[in-house]
Amino acid sequence: MANLLWLQGGACSGNTMSFLNAEEPSVCDLVTDFGINILWHPSLGMELGDDLRRLLNRVIAGEIALDILVFEGTVICAPNGTGQWNRFAGRPMKEWVAELTRVANNVVAVGDCATWGGIPAMAPNPSESVGLQFLKREQGGFLGKDFRAKSGFPVINIPGCPAHPDWISQIVVAVATGRGGELALDEMQRPKTFFTSFTQTGCTRNMHFSYKVSATEFGQRKGCLFYDLGCRGPMTRSPCNRILWNRQSSKTRAGMPCLGCTEPEFPFFDLMPGTVFRTQTVMGVPRSMPTGVDKIGYIKLTTAAKAAAPRWVEDDIFV
Amino acid sequence: MSTVTLDISPVGRVEGDLDVRVDIKDGVVVDAWTHAELFRGLEVILRDKDAQAGLVVTPRACGICGASHLTCAAWALDTAWGTTLPRNAILARNIGQLTESLQSLPRHHYGLFMIDYTNKAYKNSRYYDEAVRRWAPYTGKHYEIGVTISGRPVEIYALFGGQWPHSSYMVPGGVMCSPTLTDVTRAWSILEHFRRNWIEPVWLGCSLERYEEIRSYDDLMAWLDEKPEHANSDLGMFWRMSEDIGLDGYGAGPERFISWGYLPHEDRYQNPTIEGRAAALISRGGIYDAAADRHFPALQAGVREDVARAWYEEPGGLHPLERLTQPTADNRTDYDGRYTWAVAVRDAEHGRLEAGALARNLVLAQPGADPWQLSDSLIYDMFRKMGGASVALRQFARMHEIPKIYREIERILRELRLQDPWYIKPTEQDGVGWGATEAIRGALCHWIDVKDGKIRNYQIVAPTTWNVGPRDNGGIRGPIETALIGTPIADVNDPVEVGHVCRSYDSCLVCTVHAHDARSGKELARFRTA
Repeated sequence: MANLLWLQGGACSGNTMSFLNAEEPSVCDLVTDFGINILWHPSLGMELGDDLRRLLNRVIAGEIALDILVFEGTVICAPNGTGQWNRFAGRPMKEWVAELTRVANNVVAVGDCATWGGIPAMAPNPSESVGLQFLKREQGGFLGKDFRAKSGFPVINIPGCPAHPDWISQIVVAVATGRGGELALDEMQRPKTFFTSFTQTGCTRNMHFSYKVSATEFGQRKGCLFYDLGCRGPMTRSPCNRILWNRQSSKTRAGMPCLGCTEPEFPFFDLMPGTVFRTQTVMGVPRSMPTGVDKIGYIKLTTAAKAAAPRWVEDDIFV
Repeated sequence: MSTVTLDISPVGRVEGDLDVRVDIKDGVVVDAWTHAELFRGLEVILRDKDAQAGLVVTPRACGICGASHLTCAAWALDTAWGTTLPRNAILARNIGQLTESLQSLPRHHYGLFMIDYTNKAYKNSRYYDEAVRRWAPYTGKHYEIGVTISGRPVEIYALFGGQWPHSSYMVPGGVMCSPTLTDVTRAWSILEHFRRNWIEPVWLGCSLERYEEIRSYDDLMAWLDEKPEHANSDLGMFWRMSEDIGLDGYGAGPERFISWGYLPHEDRYQNPTIEGRAAALISRGGIYDAAADRHFPALQAGVREDVARAWYEEPGGLHPLERLTQPTADNRTDYDGRYTWAVAVRDAEHGRLEAGALARNLVLAQPGADPWQLSDSLIYDMFRKMGGASVALRQFARMHEIPKIYREIERILRELRLQDPWYIKPTEQDGVGWGATEAIRGALCHWIDVKDGKIRNYQIVAPTTWNVGPRDNGGIRGPIETALIGTPIADVNDPVEVGHVCRSYDSCLVCTVHAHDARSGKELARFRTA
């Protein structure tokens, strides 16, 4: 039995929608099989108005235990740090967040907005948005870098725009089944089990990457999306090609370049003119290299790859 | 009896934060104010960005209708750049729009709408025990089936777009994907699974073909009586209990409706223009005025935004692309003055309009459809015979879209030509574009103004912008404010009836959050609002 409360700040509800796509466990399985007691959720909760305020105040007073607080969306601080531009249940959402995080055993940030600030925090950040414990790559965010939940963990960051339902539900199940203490987080406070491998790990276009065969434009039946179309798969930590989306596919499998949405810099280059779906290069070499590869290594690697490429790589293979 | 004023914050289960104030006299709502309490400023963020930035940012305006936003963003760029699209690309975009909508039908119905039927306020209804058994949150037998199976249609989306929500696979000139035969056959199998495991056994209690024979209110009543399987299906139970608890008796709204129409035909919109869109649509758009019982064309040029009651100081009545936003410095709530981030959208000629599935269905009843276009007058017939709109009819209109959406997905899977192209690389250019669609919750459109290769102005008018707006400059209430008047409130401590009305509009506050171009620079943008 674990009490879970889910709230949304500067959010699009995309992580909620993603979470509702889950099967094994589905949201209903979480409740009936794993004993997750969902105290309230903005899209699912029964209570409205005063009933909800009473519930939240009882949680803050310690009358109802809060095992897991899930937060989706940015913490909005505008205007001028007051948070009045996102009011919820009669007061700024940021005040609810400040009080609820103090009583929660575990605080989970789902999606880029809650982890790093995401799209709302993009320049000029008109809503003065921050993530719970980060703003982009800088630690701190709304709660400050020293924040620890009652369990001793900092905010558990599950980034992605949106986060995959399994990334969310498996963390919730781990906590609810008493294995929360075994969670290992990386320096960005992401669960290592999901965010150590790369988006490219398991991508169906890996052979084309190896032989430097490029998909030069959309809709082709071969080629790697890294060289021309701006794919960030080789330098983005996510399991998108290990744990498939909607049980079927992934963006790169379907021909869409990875946007790097689990990393704090997303959206990269602030979507300035010329940067969307286009690999940024300096003297013909990508501005963003595969993680750990330097420029000289890259030139050697791709020269050798081109030379070694078998004839079939120029044929359509996704037919 | 004196007037009781009730502030409900939040209403909940409407996607995003919606607050409502109602004045209640003798147990009936006599006045209402709806207000949006969240500002993110996506349109401010888009300013001066790459012309294609809307393809990344606007699906994230709304995690519920992301494919609908992507559809608008892509078509807006197509019209601005003057692209040419292959027919496969039009079909592949439409299947994305349709699968998102199909997902939303059971998800909203069970997850957001039906659980109110298990409210203890209805414990005296003869259907109450069965309602609890089926529709109680998380544990109800059909709640679990409906919410879980709602994930299946977007598996088809993932086959074309990689993932749902938040793909950007639609781009000017076409789509990014190049599906294979196995993608198509898998999509068929998922669609079939959805029909055999939910639409027919749980929702209808009959075959899709039998349901499609229902053409009028009388047909529907005859269908209900025909077999116990029909009466006891989730549709049958929904309708009978709705009548039993009086949901066919309130929630009328402005009785004037707008739909942009959607689904451009694959052979008729390969060279997209703003002017050419309406004639190319499989599901036609328009405006329906119930008092006059007349249909009119819906024109993007007629859209006007009023801000006298929202947190802005500027003249009203501007077209979205013309607005120069002058927001107020603070957002204190004043019900006699400004009280929301949402603007009041209206049509220059027809005034305040309701958007949504009810609107879409009433517009579809207009005569003159070509054989390749959709035509359907069941909801129109019910609307006329039942004396107008209500909570029950609005919700039914939404669920009545199941067969239309299902059949069009089937048709697309037959029409895709796997050996033909999916994308024609366009040439970027400056210009003004407009893209529109029907999200499941109603009329959605984007305007884009591209100058020197970057976004000069980006504007979104979402379905909930139409529905949840405040009073306009002439003092006319927004559609939901209008619909709330006359609502009976049995218990002021649990005003579930207010929730019914708001949820029947399938409101989505996250994408109503609407900011506007600030040609005068960043200082203004600091106060940019919904």
